[in-house]
Amino acid sequence: MLKYNLLQHTWIKTLTTNRWPLLIARAVALGGFVFAILAGIIGTPVGNHNFAIVAVWIAWWAALMLVIVPFLGRSWCAVCPIPMPGEWLQNGAVLGPIQDKNKRKKFRRFPKIFRNIWLQNVAFTLLALFSAVILTRPSVTAWVLLGMILIAAGLSLVYERRAFCRHLCPVGGFIGLYSQLAPVELRVIDTQVCKAHTEKSCYQGSENGFGCPWNIYPGGMISGKSVNTNCGLCMECLRTCDYDNIALNLRAFGADIQPQNKIKLDEAYKAFIMLGSALVYSAVMLGPWGSLKNAAYQVGTLPWFGYAVALLAFTWVLLPVSFYLITQIANRLNPTSQSPRQNFEAYASALLPLGLAAWVAFSFSFVFANISYLWPVLSDPFGWGWNLFQTAGVAWTPIFSSQVPALQVLVLIGGLIWSGNTTQKIAIDRNASRQTWPVMAFIFAVTLLLIWLFVA
Amino acid sequence: MKKEILARLVVLVLVSGMGLSALVFRIGDNSGIVEVHAAMPEKGGWLTDSIEAQVGEPLVLSLVSDDVVHSFALGQSDFEPVDVLPGVPTEITLTFDEPGPYTFYCTRWCGADHWRMRGTITVTGDEPFSKDLPDPPLYLQLGIDIDDPHENHDLVLDEQPSALRGSVLGLTTPSEFLTQAYYRSHSPHQVWDELRKVPSTSELSESQIWDVVAWVWAQNTNSTKLAEGEALYQRDCAACHGVDGDGEGIFGAEEISGDGTPHEAGFDGHTIEAPTSFQDAGQMLTASPALLQGKIIRGGMGTGMPSWGLIYTEEQTWNLVDYLWTFQFQKSQE
Amino acid sequence: MPSRSLYFRDLRILAAGAQSVSGILLAALVMAFAPFPEPFVEPTERTIGVMASSFEFSPAEISVNPGDLVTIELTSADVVHGLYIDGYDMQISADPGQTQTLTFTADKSGTFRLRCSVTCGDLHPFMIGKLHVGSNTLLWRGFGLATLSVFTLLVWMPATFRKRNQDTPDVEI
Repeated sequence: MLKYNLLQHTWIKTLTTNRWPLLIARAVALGGFVFAILAGIIGTPVGNHNFAIVAVWIAWWAALMLVIVPFLGRSWCAVCPIPMPGEWLQNGAVLGPIQDKNKRKKFRRFPKIFRNIWLQNVAFTLLALFSAVILTRPSVTAWVLLGMILIAAGLSLVYERRAFCRHLCPVGGFIGLYSQLAPVELRVIDTQVCKAHTEKSCYQGSENGFGCPWNIYPGGMISGKSVNTNCGLCMECLRTCDYDNIALNLRAFGADIQPQNKIKLDEAYKAFIMLGSALVYSAVMLGPWGSLKNAAYQVGTLPWFGYAVALLAFTWVLLPVSFYLITQIANRLNPTSQSPRQNFEAYASALLPLGLAAWVAFSFSFVFANISYLWPVLSDPFGWGWNLFQTAGVAWTPIFSSQVPALQVLVLIGGLIWSGNTTQKIAIDRNASRQTWPVMAFIFAVTLLLIWLFVA
Repeated sequence: MKKEILARLVVLVLVSGMGLSALVFRIGDNSGIVEVHAAMPEKGGWLTDSIEAQVGEPLVLSLVSDDVVHSFALGQSDFEPVDVLPGVPTEITLTFDEPGPYTFYCTRWCGADHWRMRGTITVTGDEPFSKDLPDPPLYLQLGIDIDDPHENHDLVLDEQPSALRGSVLGLTTPSEFLTQAYYRSHSPHQVWDELRKVPSTSELSESQIWDVVAWVWAQNTNSTKLAEGEALYQRDCAACHGVDGDGEGIFGAEEISGDGTPHEAGFDGHTIEAPTSFQDAGQMLTASPALLQGKIIRGGMGTGMPSWGLIYTEEQTWNLVDYLWTFQFQKSQE
Repeated sequence: MPSRSLYFRDLRILAAGAQSVSGILLAALVMAFAPFPEPFVEPTERTIGVMASSFEFSPAEISVNPGDLVTIELTSADVVHGLYIDGYDMQISADPGQTQTLTFTADKSGTFRLRCSVTCGDLHPFMIGKLHVGSNTLLWRGFGLATLSVFTLLVWMPATFRKRNQDTPDVEI
């Protein structure tokens, strides 16, 4: 497999292993985060003129879904400000280890029952239920951001490492899953070195750095076998590895999506929640149906309960159950000795490319239509009449409004081909190539539905 | 350890820098500008709705909306209304020469209760508030009870009276019919009755007399007045009374049940009655300009019709009254 | 089996199939760009009343024929709303009670979103309608390309590669 270790360039190596560049990037991100919370609470309640809404839901979201996740995987998590205060409290340090690791306070492990991403699935779904309000009201966005940072800090005081990021963060769940598609990875160079290394400083920590904050054993990150899902690209293991045995590779897109890298049930559910919510959001936010929008917005009213039930039923029941039935039909068509659950999990990873494509296409729509709100907001983040960069008067003008629909179709077709091809690989791996047909039919149907929602 | 301290400092500065500087800037800002927020009436209307100012001292207002487009206008003045935009403050400077209360209000419809968006600027100075009261409006001078029923539903004309036709027929009309005082204090129907008794119109048919009435009305206005009346009508009245004066404006039609019975509407449960149709001859031809002036100035008292007395100048009210007749009389050629 | 060999085999298969890829590519290009058979309808003048309220247009979707001279009469039912047409980049706004009109020639075919262009409350960015000019060729091209993709994956590729790769019998497609 083609890999290219970026760390062979000294400057990249310095940038990643030296603590200062990432620290400053994270501190700037935290500054922006605090600023967004402040703007949301004391700035104008008009969303499209408040930094909290425009910077988070238009600028950051555009960067995340259109650039970072598809091309850089989980690297957002490397600079994400949410875990920072908690992590500093946990480590008793901002820059690097300052205490003997033996003297460090012991923190509990996260409860075993939650050592998965089910809580992330629930958290994302909860946000989705209130999304019409969160996305549009600055104060609500601010409280959500503040809540996340407080919960993360609270968890850090009880549980070891980044428990919030791994198991609770509503965003981290899908970034992790979709980072399997990204063309970057952190992997061990020579596995023999790790086997022989008894101290496992990459996991235990050393005077050079903390043990993996993401609670994985970096020594086990093996090219072709491991996946990106839980690696937050924090670069800590580059600092703790005594043998320079870790590579930051450029690789082929989607290299993790291999038949042998099955995703687990919680991750499969994440795939359905993401695909389902992309469909629901496209209908609610981009569709012409006003009553649907008002239902999603009027939290607590009867129409909203209807919307909530529909969203829950669609993402948690209808999509997974129909996919389950599809995989059972597939197994009827071309029987294998595996259990129904194994069949289900085996094919779920085929939905990842289409899911990401759906989110990219969805983001195209509202990002290009609304990115022009960013310029006035940069000059006047609170809606107080400032004009810091002389851009306060820039009018709202959608960009690429003629090209976006065609782009969306292209992206979805790309997702369809990629997902379809993945399906075939999985079927071949199971020596059951006829199983491709029903799964492909499912992916095809979802693609048509998405195309219809975006351009019909 | 030194590095750690440096790191903490750097982080502290980067994290708190932007937010703190914004706050300091905000709190340190004591330029004396009064911030006025606008919101839909059910969400609070003007915040604040009572402002104080001094005679001769510039009052700087920063106007911003917290939801939809509003505007800021000053009653009984020639101040050009300023849009109050969501999230984008607009600064205006007002200087008052006379002490007294001034009404400010919104001119851009922001819901059925839009007209409730009013506030007061209290201007104080060395002199006390205006000593002598202005003359009471005509309808009060004439002692018209504007709540008295005046309509006559049997009054139906086959054709709209035409001032153009009336201009030929009306050449012999006695001059007392043409004075402004006479026009303003009589309804068209009264004028028609009076004209019928005059010998010079004995030759004319009933509908021809109506044409003369239309001509009399046309004599008391002009295109400039009508244009201003129309502008006010479209801005302030059309949303309920309809662009065509049929009483079926966007809020009129929506708020009222089909049979026109009053029902509860608005956030405080006030009732609303169906807006008057200015196309209804039985309503309009039995009302005098002074009566319409009274209705505009005082408002409908609980019917949903706002009061405009503090908003319009006397001239604006008369221009608006003039315009209302265009729904009854064919427009005269210039 | 190890992914490494699978990956290289994929490459070899792709190289082998390169010649006949051109056929599929040609089909895809035809689907994406070929002129779409569309019944010609004599352009007319149309006036369409659109009522804007928070947060929808009514009717939510309007359809015209290519070349029509379209006049949109925008009326607002509650607060000031606007109407912006994607692709045409034109907009108007209307206060309640004061209908405004926008006249344009529908010289671009396709489906375009209508968006509210005056901030009208929280859901303002999602206040959306649609303008259909002629038939929605992009939708059909999209459906066509999706079908072609599935056909390529399911039928064409297995057939082609089975024929060309008899030397790698462990490939079961």
